Order: sequence, then structure tokens, then C-alpha cells
Amino acid sequence: MSPFGRAHSPPSSATLEHALTPPSSPAPAASTDAAELETPLFFEAAGRPLYGVYHPPALERPGAPVLVQCHGLGVEQIALYRAEVLNARAVAAAGIPVFRYHARGHGDSAGDFSAVDFAGLVEDALAAAAEARRLARREHTAWLGVRFGGLVAARALPADPTSRAIALWEPAHRPPDYFRGQLRSMLFSQVAQGERPDATVDQLVERLERDGRVDVHGYYLHRRIVDSSRDEDLSRSLATWSGPTLIVQIENRARLGPRTAGLVAELESRGAKVTSSIVRDEPGWHFTQNPAWECAPLVRETLRFLDALA
Amino acid sequence: MPWRETPAELERARAERAFVVNAPTGRLFAVLTPPAPEAPPAELCVVLLTRPRSHRNRMWVEGARRLAAQGFTTIRVDYHGCGDSGGDSAQLDPNRPYRDDVVAVIRHAREQFGARRFVVSGACFDARTALSAFAQEGGSIVGLVFMAAPVMELDTVVRVHADSKDWAHLWRALFKPDNWRALGQPGRWKHMAAVLGRVTGKSVGAASELPLSAGFVDDFRALVRSGARALFLYGHEDAEYASFRVAERTVFATLPADVRARFDVEVWPGSVHGFLEMTRQRETFSRAVSWIEALHPGAQVAATAPDRARLSAAS
Repeated sequence: MSPFGRAHSPPSSATLEHALTPPSSPAPAASTDAAELETPLFFEAAGRPLYGVYHPPALERPGAPVLVQCHGLGVEQIALYRAEVLNARAVAAAGIPVFRYHARGHGDSAGDFSAVDFAGLVEDALAAAAEARRLARREHTAWLGVRFGGLVAARALPADPTSRAIALWEPAHRPPDYFRGQLRSMLFSQVAQGERPDATVDQLVERLERDGRVDVHGYYLHRRIVDSSRDEDLSRSLATWSGPTLIVQIENRARLGPRTAGLVAELESRGAKVTSSIVRDEPGWHFTQNPAWECAPLVRETLRFLDALA
Repeated sequence: MPWRETPAELERARAERAFVVNAPTGRLFAVLTPPAPEAPPAELCVVLLTRPRSHRNRMWVEGARRLAAQGFTTIRVDYHGCGDSGGDSAQLDPNRPYRDDVVAVIRHAREQFGARRFVVSGACFDARTALSAFAQEGGSIVGLVFMAAPVMELDTVVRVHADSKDWAHLWRALFKPDNWRALGQPGRWKHMAAVLGRVTGKSVGAASELPLSAGFVDDFRALVRSGARALFLYGHEDAEYASFRVAERTVFATLPADVRARFDVEVWPGSVHGFLEMTRQRETFSRAVSWIEALHPGAQVAATAPDRARLSAAS
């Protein structure tokens, strides 16, 4: 067992199997050197330019897939950005090529966020995977889905016959719950700042339905992405999947949540090799931190999982 | 209203180029948005600063494409240790701006893209970094957007902000239940202690004695020497504004009239600093971009301040 948390197929009641990370984690070392090899670029998806960064492998490793990282939604793309960059660098340094990209309406890509819908995010993920295989000259794809990006990766995975493995960082399981959680956290933060919230979660949901958007920490949450993803379900998206899977829970609690534990059990019942772990940390999903959130144990765990693929 | 990408902005997105700057601090990842070929050229390269480079709600992406559609060249860049860039991350302190990064970007743009005149823009740490470029590149910078940045060491800013409170403020605050709940945060205790210290007579001192950051003063002098125009934008409720008021009473007050005339100082009701409330975020963004637009040699409208009555009551 690693010092930071790695347990194979734990029951939901397990605690000791998950050695826990401290709340703050040092950054992985040698980030500067890794950046020397990286190439920023634009590629086409659905007729619009998307931004991406290709991380070539630092050493030859025949048979390794290329890792495609699917970021989170809206502000979460920003909040977890550096952690994803450092993950890509560590994985590439171990001989596995990586492709990061900004989906439409995100970061430096084209499109505005108000027009983003779930099908479009999946379309971009598939285009990114094709670009990744072309750049890396690899036949197989491994996916990393971060938060809402977990739902995206899980939908892209069965649509792409080259898919070989999937890793999920604190994935959203069902969008309606995810969005309500986002609204709830905004209200909590208002209270913590000494402000009295002017609405309940239900009222914010009503406002979203009525006005088409609601302000969440200086970001609009738009009805279009909420409506278009309403029926998504992580477990259902992975219903035919039985390949290698990593699920990392990033929460300040000792046990896997019931949905994650249930997903692990479902996957294992189909013969999937599942690795689950817990990183006890509270990144603050909706805030950019100073400095940006980094998590070395998360990177090490992801690298360990990918390392076993080839 | 949220940003709706226009056809002209999509065209600018199609023209964008990602590039890398080899700065002393690390490999900096950046995006160039070239000016629209059909637009009258501004002959200005706007460097939009923040981390990550897209800014909250992708404001700088929108700004870059909007300005490029009107003939500006724009660059947005990740500082070292941030976003895509190399180098190690560190806690950002406005009084230790990343001058090496912004200067490296300006020099790269000059050598690789032929840019000759620049505008630099940012808020808080990014504003101080933009200002810091004048020490080495003042001769090539013609405009500065400087939003809601502290101009003292951070501990002094906290104390000066507390200095703006009085017994009446404290009395009113005692009757707000939310304030008591907020005392769960250590930072709030620190602020309360500072307010109490001020109200009970332990002020940090008279205005003339208050220490502006030495780095700010040096960089401000470089701005004055440069001949550039500048927009200083704050909110009345910004803690950073309390520090800026000292600058207004000191370094601004002693400027010759012709130099002072180059600087627009706008203080809006409410807060500018946080960018956490959409209406004010859009107002601030719009003001910064329109001020830059007015630097275009073909601009029809001068850079006038917005009608205060039309501003939101952001707090």
C-alpha cells in the first residue's frame, strides 16, 4: 500500500485500506525541465479551433497509450488547471504521451460558454483523442476525466474504439446533483464571508430556469449545459466498460462515498480491474487559489495506474 | 450580459497562434491574437495579464479577440509557475511583481512579431506586474490599465483599510449577525483587531507618514518618465483603494499638470477588486477594454469615464 492512498476494490465501509494524504501536498518536482518538450497548438473540432498542449514522452515506451485529459466545467477548469498540467508532465516523463486541450467555450479555445452543451463537450473530447493519437503516433487512448470532465470522458470512451483505460478524479456522477452542489457551495461561501444569501438552492434553480443563467462566483451557470446534461449518469455511461479504471475521491473524508463505492462494485462485477483511492484534500473547486492547487499524491496515484498499462 | 462570440471574434480565434517565450524564470506559454487584416491597424500590442491567462470568465480571451477585431495585436500569457508555463509556482505578492516575465514577453513580441508600441493591463498582482514593466520597457509602453491593486505592503494595506473605519462603523457592525458568523475565519479576526486598533487610537499614522511600497514608487516614477497614459480604476469599498488614496495624496498630488493629465483615475461605488459578481465584472471588463480601444489612432471616441449613475451598486 502506498503512503498516500491506494486500495484495490475496497468495500464502502473500508477505512484502513485507504492511507490518507495530508490536506496540503507539495508540488511534484522538476516541472521546469518537463515544459521544455511541450508544444502548444490549435486543432480543429467541429469547425472551430481548440487549444491544446502536446506532452511528448520523455522516453520510448512501445505499446503505451496516449493520455487525453478532459478538464472540468467552467471555473473548475481554472481551479484544477495547474494540477492537470503537473500530472501531464509527470506522465510524459514516465514515457506516456499526454494531450491536454480546452473544450469549446473554455480557456483559449473558440466558442462562448453560454453555447456549451454536453454533446459538444463529448465531440471535442473525441476530436482531441484523434489529434492526440496523430501527434503521438499511438493506437490506443487512455482517458483522464476531472470532475464534470469525468462524465465527458465516460461518454467518449465507448464511442472511441481505441479506448484502453480511464482514470477519474473526483468525478461528477449525475449532473443535477453536481449543479446543485455547485450552487450550495456558493451559498456556503457567502455565509462564510459574512453575507446573508439572497436565495436558497431551489430558488437559484428556479432563477436558472427562468433567466437562462445564474451567477456562481463570477461565472455564469447556463441553462443550456444544465439541460443538455440532465440525463447523464456516470454509471450508465460506463455500463459496457470493463477495462482498467482508476477512481480517485478527493474529499476530506475517510471512506469512499456511496456512489463511488457503488460504481467500483458495478465495474468489478463485470470483471474490470478497478483501482480506487482517497486523497483527503479540499481543493476549493470553484476558486482559484494563490498559489494554484497542486496535489503530488494525486499525480503519483494516476502515474502508478498508467504505469501498469504498458 | 454574458459574452456571445461574434463572427468577427471567431475569425480572430481562427487566426490565433500559440507560442512560447524563453524567460529567465521559465518557459512561458502564450497566445497571440493578430489584428484583423480588414481593420485599420492600431499599431499597438496589448499584453493582457493574469493567471491563468484566460482570466475569470475568460475575460481576456474575449478582450483579446474584441481588440484584435479592431486592429490591435494582443497577447495573453501564463506567468512562470502558472497555467501551462514552466517554472515553479509560488504565492503571488503584488509587491513582488513578475517583471521578468512581462518584460520577456514584450521583447519576444518585438523580436518575433515586430511589435513596437505596447499597452499593458491587469488587476491587483497583474496591475503591479504591468506597472513594473515600465522600469525596463517604459520607452515602448504607451498605455497602462491598472485596476484595484494595493500600492503598499500587504500588512500595511490591511491596517490602512481598517483606518477608514470609525466608532459608528464599529457600532453598526456589532449589530450584524453575519459579521459574528464571519469571525469563524482567522483572517476576519485579524481585520477586526486592526479596526479596533484604529478606532481606539492606534492608527498607522497620518497620511504623509504612510509607507507606499518602495517598489510601487519606483515603478510609478518609471511610468511618469515614460510619457504613457494610464487608467487607475478602484472601487470605494476595495481594501486596495484605501492604500491608493495615500498615493493620490502623495505621489499623484506632486505631479506636474501635464503629467497628471495623462492619468485617468476612476473610483466607482462598491467593489472592483473581486471580479466575483457578474454585473460589476462586466462593467470593469468593459471599461478596461474601451479605454484601450480609445488608444487606437482611429478611435472616434475619447476615453471618458462611464456615467456613475449607470454603474451597478456592486459590493
